[in-house]
Amino acid sequence: MKRDQKIFLIKFFVALIAMYLLVAWNPVNDHVIVPATKAIAVAAGALLHAIGQNVIVNGTTIASSRFAVNINNGCNGIEAMLILLAAIGAFPASWRARLIGLGIGALIVQFINEIRIISLYLIGAYKPSLFQIFHTAVWQVVVILAAIVFFLQWSARVAPNRLANGS
Amino acid sequence: MPRIDWQTALKGLAGFIVAVVIWVGVSPLYDRAVAAGAELLMRTFESPKVTHLTATGTDVKVDRSDFDPRSPRPGLPVIDLTFNWVLLAALFAINPRPFSDRNMLRFAIASLLMYVTHILALATEVMSIYVLRLGAWSRVHYGAFARNFWGTANHSYRFVLMFAIAFGLWWALRPTTLTRPPATLSRSRGRGSEEPSRSTRKASRRRARS
Repeated sequence: MKRDQKIFLIKFFVALIAMYLLVAWNPVNDHVIVPATKAIAVAAGALLHAIGQNVIVNGTTIASSRFAVNINNGCNGIEAMLILLAAIGAFPASWRARLIGLGIGALIVQFINEIRIISLYLIGAYKPSLFQIFHTAVWQVVVILAAIVFFLQWSARVAPNRLANGS
Repeated sequence: MPRIDWQTALKGLAGFIVAVVIWVGVSPLYDRAVAAGAELLMRTFESPKVTHLTATGTDVKVDRSDFDPRSPRPGLPVIDLTFNWVLLAALFAINPRPFSDRNMLRFAIASLLMYVTHILALATEVMSIYVLRLGAWSRVHYGAFARNFWGTANHSYRFVLMFAIAFGLWWALRPTTLTRPPATLSRSRGRGSEEPSRSTRKASRRRARS
């Protein structure tokens, strides 16, 4: 591993832990994360309505007579956005490129996360035996993978020769 | 940095699907290995040695020899701590030549290192049960610092660190090949690049004839 790749990894982990502590801090959680999660639930509820599901959104819970999902940390896409933020922040690039990357990346992550919530509700309602595996292994990995793939694309675009190691 | 084209995306998708199948199939056995490692780690630092971790196939039962035998034993679904291996496998699948010896060896090393992190994660999870979830027993045996420390360690692993560890291991261990920036290649063309220049080829032919 080259020196600049080691520096990237160190910066990445330091930034990630710092942002985790910020997000886990109660005032930030209560005034930023919870309202954002409620907005995610409202959007998912509206999309479920649009495809004919009779659901009620109450705070961070989407419920019907068939099934209910409660969107917690870990299911709101914030974890993927933190990883994306730490990776983009640790990568040597201009602030403009970072801001554009963060904006587009956050939109992509949240778009995929909405699909995750809708599909998990539908799986829970119509095929509950598959809920656990999709909730744990499939969708969490897909959302994080989407964030990492976006980061790789972004970094290849903003600095094609920097940190290039033949991948 | 790798650009993700359709071929790479398909490799990642195939790697992801295969990894999910392997992970689901191997988890009951793997849980036992993680539980054995975590129990060994915890008992190393315990005096007296009281913790017993038993994998049941669906979760790991936490037992202590000083618990009241009539009280229920907490169970932990270890798969919640270990599914980041699927992410690791999908990331190694997008590397160039994923089945090359070098990529497979590095994936095996990354998996081994991840096993160590899974042991640490399970030990942290058990400690968070001890300090936070056993009511009066927890309050009597542990103080505020221990509650904050183990609670934060456990939550941070589940929330972001488990994914960051997979990404970090892939980033650190993915096979590297020597590439030169384009400027170097264009400067060296005809003077030592891998493709010999026309004059070099002519000179070689002359030497071969003589």
